[in-house]
Amino acid sequence: MNIYKYASPAMFYPLAGKMIPWFAIPAALLFAAGLYVGFFVAPTDFQQGDAYRIMFIHVPAAWMGMFLYVLMAIYAGIGWAFNARLSSMMASSIAITGASFTLISLVTGAFWGKPTWGTWWVWDARMTSTLILLFLYIGFISLQAAIDDPRRADRAGAVLALVGVINVPIIYFSVQWWNTLHQGATIRILGKPTIAGSMVAAMLIMLAACWLYSVAVVLIRLRCIILEREQNASRFAEVGA
Amino acid sequence: MNWPDLSMGGYGFYVWGSYIFSLIAIVWEVVSLRSRKKALTQQQSSNTVPASVLRERTHETTS
Repeated sequence: MNIYKYASPAMFYPLAGKMIPWFAIPAALLFAAGLYVGFFVAPTDFQQGDAYRIMFIHVPAAWMGMFLYVLMAIYAGIGWAFNARLSSMMASSIAITGASFTLISLVTGAFWGKPTWGTWWVWDARMTSTLILLFLYIGFISLQAAIDDPRRADRAGAVLALVGVINVPIIYFSVQWWNTLHQGATIRILGKPTIAGSMVAAMLIMLAACWLYSVAVVLIRLRCIILEREQNASRFAEVGA
Repeated sequence: MNWPDLSMGGYGFYVWGSYIFSLIAIVWEVVSLRSRKKALTQQQSSNTVPASVLRERTHETTS
């Protein structure tokens, strides 16, 4: 089987359609499982009480905002460097979901900040850099929407996405580099997590659910973008025929 | 099993506020995608759609 044929939007379109339920259904199940563990199994925190339960959506959303930005920049970069249309379309498709998760992380962070820090918002390193991430997503989406020619829009978007990647390590390390109100990492790649096992489990299940959800919605949006961009291209009709 | 009370020990507004906002964001994304897909399907004229897409759509509408 020649997998390279799926680099063509016309060939990928039906494959994407078949893939969507395989991500959407497990996403719904994992969201339910994650919320069950988060609300019924995980104990009340001895310092923050039940307010800490915001973490089960806040942390996965914040991670997704960062991961999806890097993924978007990689796809945009590949699309630009190799003139791969599907890759650029993928970047456009990821942008809205990434922006949505970043907004969720900022709003849930404000909801968490008020009872624990006494304020909805401070111009703190992590929060400010996350806000900049949201602006980068909005900039990417707006820039692409403002340019009529999709290939030019892809190139312009790719430049913005790649330059903006520098913000992601700044967000990640901001809690170490600057004095900040925001707490440090609760889960580390190396070393033990600083919270109870069931709390970690709920957070990781929610993260998996967010990933699966993202793949499903990105593929649905990608199919829309393929149809929108290719509907008048005669070559597209020939490829499928 | 620990079932925390709905008031979340006095933090109910913040906890439920967070989850309700997240739910709205997710539902909004799914609903807007559905309407985008629906508008596209209505717009499409059959001669500009590739056969692979058409085959799938025929299958979707007949099944």
